[in-house]
Amino acid sequence: MLEFDGLHKSFGSNRVLEGVGFAVAPGTMFGFCGSNGAGKTTTMRIAMGLVRPDAGEVRWQGSPLDLDARRRVGYMPEERGLYPKMKVGEQVAYFARLHGLDAAAATRAASVWVERLGLGERRGDPVEKLSLGNQQRVQLAAALVSRPEVLILDEPFSGLDPVGVDSLAEALLDQCRRGVPVVFSSHQLDLVERLCDSVGILARGRIVATGTVEELRRRETGRLLRVVVPDAAAHWAAGLPGVRIVSERAGDTLLELAADADDQAVLAAAVGTGRVTHFAWQQPSLVELFREAVAAPQEVAA
Amino acid sequence: MSEPRSLSSTSMIRLVAAREISARVRDKNFLISSAVILVLLIGTLGLQVAFSSGGEETRIGVVGDVGQLGPALEAQGQALEVDVEVVEFDDEAAGRAAVEAEEVDGVLVAEGDPELLVQQSAGGALQAVVQGAVAQLSIAEQLSAAGVGALDVPKVSVRALDPGAEQDQQRVVVAIIGVGVLYGLLILFGQFVAQGVVEEKSSRVVELLLATMRPWQLLAGKIVGLGLLGLAQIVVIAVVGVAGALAFDLVDIPGELIGTAVSVVLWFVLGYAFYAAIFAVAASLVSRQEDLAAVVMPTTLVLVVAFLVGIQASADPDGALAAITSYVPGLSPLVMPVRQAAGDVAVWEIALAVVLMLVAITGIVRVGGRIYAGALLRTGGRIKMREALRAERV
Repeated sequence: MLEFDGLHKSFGSNRVLEGVGFAVAPGTMFGFCGSNGAGKTTTMRIAMGLVRPDAGEVRWQGSPLDLDARRRVGYMPEERGLYPKMKVGEQVAYFARLHGLDAAAATRAASVWVERLGLGERRGDPVEKLSLGNQQRVQLAAALVSRPEVLILDEPFSGLDPVGVDSLAEALLDQCRRGVPVVFSSHQLDLVERLCDSVGILARGRIVATGTVEELRRRETGRLLRVVVPDAAAHWAAGLPGVRIVSERAGDTLLELAADADDQAVLAAAVGTGRVTHFAWQQPSLVELFREAVAAPQEVAA
Repeated sequence: MSEPRSLSSTSMIRLVAAREISARVRDKNFLISSAVILVLLIGTLGLQVAFSSGGEETRIGVVGDVGQLGPALEAQGQALEVDVEVVEFDDEAAGRAAVEAEEVDGVLVAEGDPELLVQQSAGGALQAVVQGAVAQLSIAEQLSAAGVGALDVPKVSVRALDPGAEQDQQRVVVAIIGVGVLYGLLILFGQFVAQGVVEEKSSRVVELLLATMRPWQLLAGKIVGLGLLGLAQIVVIAVVGVAGALAFDLVDIPGELIGTAVSVVLWFVLGYAFYAAIFAVAASLVSRQEDLAAVVMPTTLVLVVAFLVGIQASADPDGALAAITSYVPGLSPLVMPVRQAAGDVAVWEIALAVVLMLVAITGIVRVGGRIYAGALLRTGGRIKMREALRAERV
């Protein structure tokens, strides 16, 4: 298990993390979502030893992720970083060596990965001569070249074209099949929904929702009700017991019902306003779950 | 495939150092600057050779009484600092042929009225030598004809107040050249270190590096790698310079030349460690190459001052300024070698300067290492040293 446990971090008076915790099982992919500035990057940087937490720790297989253990982690930082003047093949081999491979193994692994990511012909070119998409591939090669036991990737998909997204997704699924726990952050929630076994949503310094997308959906299903009442005045549903207005736009209303709230009472109230053109339980997409989780003032997560 | 193993600090530093060296030896700027330095050095040697062999020489043919004229011509030549070689000819025709074949610069025909045969015109020295010699002989003849025998002319004896002055002069020149090279290389390699640090920050690669190693290992690797290159370069310069000077016989003090070269190389090691650490720490405070000049400026100024004091010390190696600054860490690498070469320095003085320097280096690496660690991961703008100290990570 890769465990993030009770991470706290403040920068001056800005409290970024207030007890972030989640776990990722070997061979699963964990999608890490959150608004800009929610603390995703800080969480990952803590795991990589680049930021020291005020409290909490990150563990791999039960022991703290220290410098030695971190050499077995493949990491892709949010701000991509490579030596601009170093040749592709040498650069990947250098990172392999920093992760503990000997010279011969590093050279071999580097040429395998450079080939595999379609950079074979660019092996001898300095990185700065490559397109951004190809630089990103070198970055991925640098993260994967040492056969890491864990992968931590900060926004790996940003800036990739659809073909690049597909090939990166394929590479990550490959790693998962090898038994590697993969954590990645992304704003592309459709991608997270498609790839990830489980999802964590970070807001206000905490994980506000975590579980498989199915679990999150099941937890939410039956609780979100969409009612379209074109003639209703604003806040028509306000004051109904156990009902919270999630959104309301020209009568298109999304309501969240507490477990004991009576949907029939809502329907009655809706009919009372005039025409009812739509009344149904919502199957929320991850985007909606995300909005819901990020907006909610109280914790939703189990 | 062999499994990844854990790495010791030494192997981490070695990896970083090896990368620095391999990146630098393929860098055009480095190759060009190295070539320029060597060309300059060889050029200087060549100039020295040209100047020191600059004495005039002339071959003068004589037809007539060589027994008297020969020594007189040579004596005149000595007075005028011209090497004179006298060649005897049997008759005027032989002399004329030699002039035409340019075997001699001129032929003095001393039968009857003396006449000087030359190809086109007599060079200043040639005419002066011949005129002087003929005049001297003629005066002696007329005096003896007038009955004046051997003249009693008092001989001026020479007593040197500072017999080693010329050697001292050479020592000073050698020391200045040594300190000049030292200064140039300290600036050059200090800049390399600073640029390398900023490159890692501006390309953000430092984040990947620090996920696998501690900041001090990165700092040490960088300084050691570039330092080995710098050391190699100064050793090459010293060897070429000393070998050249000895081969062309430019110095009268080969032993001291070698001694000075060795002390310059050793002081380079200390000076480089000191300045490279400061340059690296200063560079870690900025994220862009454009901002680099501003942060390394104060250190560069210290180096310039040290260089000027070193030059001053060559003029006055035993003065108070030279004596005091030769102990001050940072200044000592550029002042002490001059004092060692040009003046009298006790062993304890050198030892004291070295110890003070080592203490200063230790302090800089300690404090600077913390600033470096704190500043590396912070990008944007220029970071204040105090902030960096507070943000220190490990």
